[in-house]
Amino acid sequence: MKTASLGIVLSAVAGLAQAADMGAVDEPIKLAVNEWTGQHVTTHVAGEMLKAAGYNVEYVTAGMMNQFQALADGDIHATLEIWSSNVSDEYAKKVDEGTVVEIGDLGLDAKEGIAYPAHVAELCPGLPAWEALQECAQVFATAETLPGGRLVDYPADWGTPGADRMTGLDLPFKAVPAGSEGALIAELRASTERKSPLLITFWQPHWAMSAYDVQFVDLPAGEEACFNDPAWGPNPNAVNDCDFAPSRIFKAGWSGFADKWPAAYEILSNYELAVEDQQPMMGAIDVDGGAVEEVVATWMTGNEDKWRPVVDAATK
Amino acid sequence: MSADEQLTPHALTHLTRGTQVALITLLVGALCLVLEPLVPWLVIWPAEWVLPATDWVGAGLKWFLEGIKPVARLFSELMRYPMNWANAALGATPWPIVIGLVTALGWYIGGLPMAALGFLGLSFVLSSGYWPQSMNTLALVAVSVPLALILGGAIGILANEVPRVKSVVQAVLDVMQTVPTFAYLTPLLLLFGFGPVVGLIASAIYAAPPMARNVMLGLERVEPEIKEAAIMSGGTRFQQLFQVEIPSATTQIMIGVNQCLMAALSMVIIAAVIGGFNDIGWEVLLTMRKAQFGEALLAGMVIVVFAVIIDRMSGALATERKRHDRRVVWALVAFGVVFTALFWSSLPNASEFTLMDPVAGAVDSGLTAFTQANGPWLDALKNNSMFYVLLPLRIGLDQAVLPFTWGFAWTPAMSYGLFAAGAVIAALMAWRGHATGGLMVLIGIGMLETGIANLPWPFVLSGTAALGWVAGGRKLALMSVILLSTILVSGLWERALLSLYLSGAAVFACAVVGGAIGLLSAVSETAWKIVRPICDMLQTIPLFVFLIPVLMVFQIGEFSAFLAICAYAVVPMIRYTRHGLVNTPDEMMEAAISSGATEWQILRDIRAPYAAPTILLGLNQTILYAFAMLVIAALIGTTGLGQSIYLALGQADVGLGISAGAAMAILALIADRMVQGFAEERRQALGL
Repeated sequence: MKTASLGIVLSAVAGLAQAADMGAVDEPIKLAVNEWTGQHVTTHVAGEMLKAAGYNVEYVTAGMMNQFQALADGDIHATLEIWSSNVSDEYAKKVDEGTVVEIGDLGLDAKEGIAYPAHVAELCPGLPAWEALQECAQVFATAETLPGGRLVDYPADWGTPGADRMTGLDLPFKAVPAGSEGALIAELRASTERKSPLLITFWQPHWAMSAYDVQFVDLPAGEEACFNDPAWGPNPNAVNDCDFAPSRIFKAGWSGFADKWPAAYEILSNYELAVEDQQPMMGAIDVDGGAVEEVVATWMTGNEDKWRPVVDAATK
Repeated sequence: MSADEQLTPHALTHLTRGTQVALITLLVGALCLVLEPLVPWLVIWPAEWVLPATDWVGAGLKWFLEGIKPVARLFSELMRYPMNWANAALGATPWPIVIGLVTALGWYIGGLPMAALGFLGLSFVLSSGYWPQSMNTLALVAVSVPLALILGGAIGILANEVPRVKSVVQAVLDVMQTVPTFAYLTPLLLLFGFGPVVGLIASAIYAAPPMARNVMLGLERVEPEIKEAAIMSGGTRFQQLFQVEIPSATTQIMIGVNQCLMAALSMVIIAAVIGGFNDIGWEVLLTMRKAQFGEALLAGMVIVVFAVIIDRMSGALATERKRHDRRVVWALVAFGVVFTALFWSSLPNASEFTLMDPVAGAVDSGLTAFTQANGPWLDALKNNSMFYVLLPLRIGLDQAVLPFTWGFAWTPAMSYGLFAAGAVIAALMAWRGHATGGLMVLIGIGMLETGIANLPWPFVLSGTAALGWVAGGRKLALMSVILLSTILVSGLWERALLSLYLSGAAVFACAVVGGAIGLLSAVSETAWKIVRPICDMLQTIPLFVFLIPVLMVFQIGEFSAFLAICAYAVVPMIRYTRHGLVNTPDEMMEAAISSGATEWQILRDIRAPYAAPTILLGLNQTILYAFAMLVIAALIGTTGLGQSIYLALGQADVGLGISAGAAMAILALIADRMVQGFAEERRQALGL
């Protein structure tokens, strides 16, 4: 208690020299832990940074889709890896209400696309060029999709980007929505193990990209015009005849965050994590079976130059 | 056999009524089929006619929820205390002491077998490395069960004291059990705020009805003499109830407690979808997401172990009066404490146990080997089932028969041929005195030709009304039509038909396969010994765990969903079929044996008719289970109401979630009432 109040005094003094106020250091900052490993890494790195700054951090498990009500109520204070491609409408509503605020990009360079496990290139030789799919559709056909090929799309609540591409590029494929991420992974795994054909909507960074040697199909680069102007692109009659719109990965927090923990708010706003840093940590956890806390701790000691400046800028 | 004589007049009157309504249904169906090209709105309810009911429900509920939110939040704050206490108590107690306590409790209740069960079960949990998560789960159950017991007990007593509200209470209990939990998670989240309290309340809602039903049943069955004695000794109503009637209904109430515990445990995984709590359900979800079957199974087995321990111990508590030596109890507890004290410094952290990891790995690679080795014939099985059964059922022969699948295209001439053949069969059957059967054949052929998803709504409504009329009279027919109409006008009709198709196909398959397995188990004791533990496991393991292997083998799609539903819903069919067949009254058996009937004759003429009401009850349970699993199967990628509920959960759309949940409950309720109607009729026919 004494050290904490001392900390406040110290930081208040330092605050004169530009550093932000520490705020309520006694109260734990609750960070949302969602369902996927990448997010665990992102959140734990941020949490350790906050701890290094002198905060008390608590990790709270929260369903990705359902966390925004908690964020709005201040039951959770920040969630650090939101994908613009599958954020629920709830988020926009809460931002409009003013109860949830966005706190900047995470800086993860994400890519989504139509993908396939590497062995599929042997079954459809023209890959990764998208034009090859025109000829190969039969290879991917299943009972439900005949005579078209089958594309495993995102779960229905994430939108239908895969189906939009097939329509846009006029490819003879029928998109089948997966029910969950687990279903997508099960498809990838079964296809790799059985050497069976598979076309799937997928994204990176994701541990399965390397585990199942997943490759993206080359689609015409996505420009703004592609999504509005049918004339643009290989198919003159449709929009969406190109690659996915680049998705943004960002952070969001409870609206009262900045007032309660000003310095922590500044740290989280400036916090960024690169794919090159996140992906090896994901591998160390999912492939090699390490614990998140240990993997992140190792990274923190080895890469102090990457995070220390952000903490120092806010607190010193 | 007097039963037979009673049967005939009964059956005759019903035959005519059945024939009448079957004829009407057939006419409506035929008319729709003829008019279909001219009047498209007969098949597809036009979008303009759809009332924005989901929006209204959403807006109305939002308003209502905002109103009672402060009270709910206060309740939520209050519930946090017992939650935290339970959590701290279970989390902080060293594992040897917890194991010692449970083993001691097992000994006290049921002697050596129960003590061994407790010890081995918890040792398994410890060796799985999920100990801390399991303790969190137990804390959740420890708080939600008393809540459910109080709620259920209060409802039961209320229904007992005020007979007027009984039918309302029954309906409320049905709704509590049939609306899928996922449908009301969003409103609960809005009301009670984020955190374990939502899971707590969801499981209390789901677990209260069995308690309420058993309390009602128990109080109803208290002997009139006992009640009179209580009145004569001059007790107040309150004293009569709590000092005489409830104590004498204890056995039945304890069954309610047992059922309540099991239901609460089965909700653990659903509560984890919200999060806020690092429990075993969350672990299952995480491993599910990575498609790690071995690990998911391991985490799921932890829940099964808890379910088995709780079920057996509370079951013994309900039936056995005998209590075992307390000295052993104290010895066991003392051993746990001493063990902890002695090895305190070297006591390994409970989460560091990895004894079961190799097993999980082996299971996982076993699945891989299986799919690799059996790929071709499994694919063939899937394709054939899709082409020749599921697709025709869904979209009808006229759309499912394509050159790619059946090798030829369906032509109108074939439709006429099919109907003509049906008409011939129907005429033959009518001539032989089975007019209803003949009409049913024609109706069936019509449905097969159009497909369930394309059935005209007037046909579905009149068909339901007809079935309701036969099963339960005018009231049931009217109720079914009104409820179905609400689905029609709310714009969820197409999805409801898809759900109906998938669960219908699954129920049919379960009835056939489950009936056969139940029959086998009734005939052979060895078969039952093998089947029983499998049934236990299928019922208590979190449903999610099934999805991975099914997906790995059969990929995303309807066939996988169909199999997942069957795996879960087949269990009651097996249990009830066997139960019904085995429990034939001895007098009837003796009479049959003395009259020289063979084994087979006894089975066909004595056991089967006598078991019919029980088997119908099993079918009823199978239907409810199939609907419950429909929501889970949406995780594979189905397109019916289950998917709507998921969409609503993801988008926090209260209106859509509740409407889709209600639609599902409506379908389940109608099916439930009809089957119960038929079962009641059989029971009366048998003079039971």
